[in-house]
Amino acid sequence: MSDALLTVDHLNVGFATRAGIVRAATDITFEIHPGEVLAVVGESGSGKSVTALALMRLHPDNAIVTGDVLFEGCDLLNMSDREMRATRGNDIAMIFQDPMTAMNPVFAVGDQIVETIRVHDSSISKQEAWTKSVDLLKLVGVPEPKRRASQYPHEYSGGMRQRAMIAMAIANDPKLLIADEPTTALDVTVQAQVMEVLHEVQAETGSAMMLITHDLGLVAGSADRVQVMYASRLMETGTIDQIFYESQNPYTMALLDSIPDLDGHREQLEPIPGNPPSLLNPPSGCAFRPRCAFAADVCAAEVPPTVVVGDQHESRCVRTRELETLGGEIS
Amino acid sequence: MCVMVCRPSVPVHTTTDRSVATLFAYVTRRVLISVPLLVIAMYLVHVGVSATVDPRSDFYLCLPRCQEGFDSITETYALDTNIFLRPFTYFADLFSGDGLGFSSSVGEPVGEVMRTRGWNTAMVAIPAFLLGAVLSLLLSVYSARRQYSVGDYFFTGLSFIGFAMPSFVLALIIQVIFGVKLEEWFGIKPFNTGRKTGENFWELLRDITLPAVSLAILGIAADSRFGRSSMLETLNQDYIRTARAKGLTERTVVWKHALRNGLIPLVTLWALGFSALLSGSVVTESIFSWPGIGQTFLRALGDSDLDLLMAIVMFTGVLTVIFNLIADVLYGVLDPRIRLG
Repeated sequence: MSDALLTVDHLNVGFATRAGIVRAATDITFEIHPGEVLAVVGESGSGKSVTALALMRLHPDNAIVTGDVLFEGCDLLNMSDREMRATRGNDIAMIFQDPMTAMNPVFAVGDQIVETIRVHDSSISKQEAWTKSVDLLKLVGVPEPKRRASQYPHEYSGGMRQRAMIAMAIANDPKLLIADEPTTALDVTVQAQVMEVLHEVQAETGSAMMLITHDLGLVAGSADRVQVMYASRLMETGTIDQIFYESQNPYTMALLDSIPDLDGHREQLEPIPGNPPSLLNPPSGCAFRPRCAFAADVCAAEVPPTVVVGDQHESRCVRTRELETLGGEIS
Repeated sequence: MCVMVCRPSVPVHTTTDRSVATLFAYVTRRVLISVPLLVIAMYLVHVGVSATVDPRSDFYLCLPRCQEGFDSITETYALDTNIFLRPFTYFADLFSGDGLGFSSSVGEPVGEVMRTRGWNTAMVAIPAFLLGAVLSLLLSVYSARRQYSVGDYFFTGLSFIGFAMPSFVLALIIQVIFGVKLEEWFGIKPFNTGRKTGENFWELLRDITLPAVSLAILGIAADSRFGRSSMLETLNQDYIRTARAKGLTERTVVWKHALRNGLIPLVTLWALGFSALLSGSVVTESIFSWPGIGQTFLRALGDSDLDLLMAIVMFTGVLTVIFNLIADVLYGVLDPRIRLG
């Protein structure tokens, strides 16, 4: 589709280690459209964060990144450092997992927001930028924003800090907001508040959002489309309903079976047996094969290709067709 | 008729006001803590020096004959008073007009000796400190940013050599190569071999270069190691990634966001190192025949010059307390979290 805001095409991220190359993200292809919320779901180490960092070119120095990433037609991976800096924090902004460590402890919160504004538009005076950062803090629900702006991060609670991080991220009205596990480090009640703030600002600014999380519950209420990752690859992509109600991928199904259901329909949670595979030496064929309830000989032969299973719905499983007929047995 | 001009009120940027208030409270607290510390330190220094130095040592051998001289020294230094009470006599004299006393080894009032020698030491110590601080900072940042590069390994090796080498070996090598051999080999003599000869500024600069450089190298070797690991730790923090994600230039990320945090451990080292430099280096000053406090200290010790020794040790003590205070204050300036403690 040509109207995509961000197009990621065959993105690979590997890390050169002494033991060999660790493939942290393999063959990642997806699109984000303006104003859309795309959730990326997966276990720890499945490559979600690495993918996001590679988009921003904030990956560690020893990472090897290949593929194409187009943002509004501009090649993010090959643009100059100067152009990349102009994009970061301006067109694409990022919110990180742990608000406790993501803000510089020695600068006042307001000053850190001012810096974000002024680095991209030096024509704004310090006073104007300060007023704007107070407004931004107000927008994200920080009480007494005037006073709080001059405080330091250690004077904020975790939830407040994450709000401040959101304020900093939306300071320049980004077109794309990448939220990397924005609520993982927060306790549950605060999680809900922060997600609400995130949605409000996303709706207000009309920016697209890439929401990275391992919490399917969080995704259910907030995303338009969902992308499930496992062992560095995309396993299934679809709209929220397709993923939650018409999943065609054994991994997604297993993942859904392992989360509690608030309505209490599910009597027993089903953990996924085994552990995620080593990315240094992944199993042959489908990486989920050793843990998959539907594994067959064919699964070990080669990495399964993505199969289109519906409108906007893709799944990486060679047995997709067979599973459709097996569907009755599963539920 | 008064016309009110309506302007949007300019919001006051309050970060500085509030920071200054907390900082002031913090500094006051640190200063108040330093006062009793200084009093206790002075007392202990006095007892310690009194217990180890006896100005009558030469008289013991001839005692019955020179009882008179023995007694006069005993009276001068109040040596018959209990050792734990002697500090009180000393400090009473200090404030009653006798000042720091008279130096028997130099033959001048102690105050005068401390002033001239202290100034000589400072002339070497200040350039040595500045050179050391600037170079150790630059090396820390360089090595941390290019960890495991050839340059990093090179400076690591150099600093280990500097670390391991005793100060007198380093001073001697520098003295021999730059002070003596350079003249033999090339017929040029860019630096003087120490000893304060200089009358004008340039002569003085040639005098102080070698001692200052050898003192600086010792500091750089240690400080750049600490600075490197501190900067490395800081550069791997999440907030550095945040700073990059904001679109800041690498220069701002390193020299503003990382340095301010990475600098904190170095500040202590610098403050303590500078106070040590200012209280004189016995070894380096001796090798370069520099008439500073360190050399004077050695002489006072040999001559059992009690008043001078006392003054020098007290000077060192006061400097240490003051520079600790300065380090504490700088801590507070650099890191707002420390102000609350």
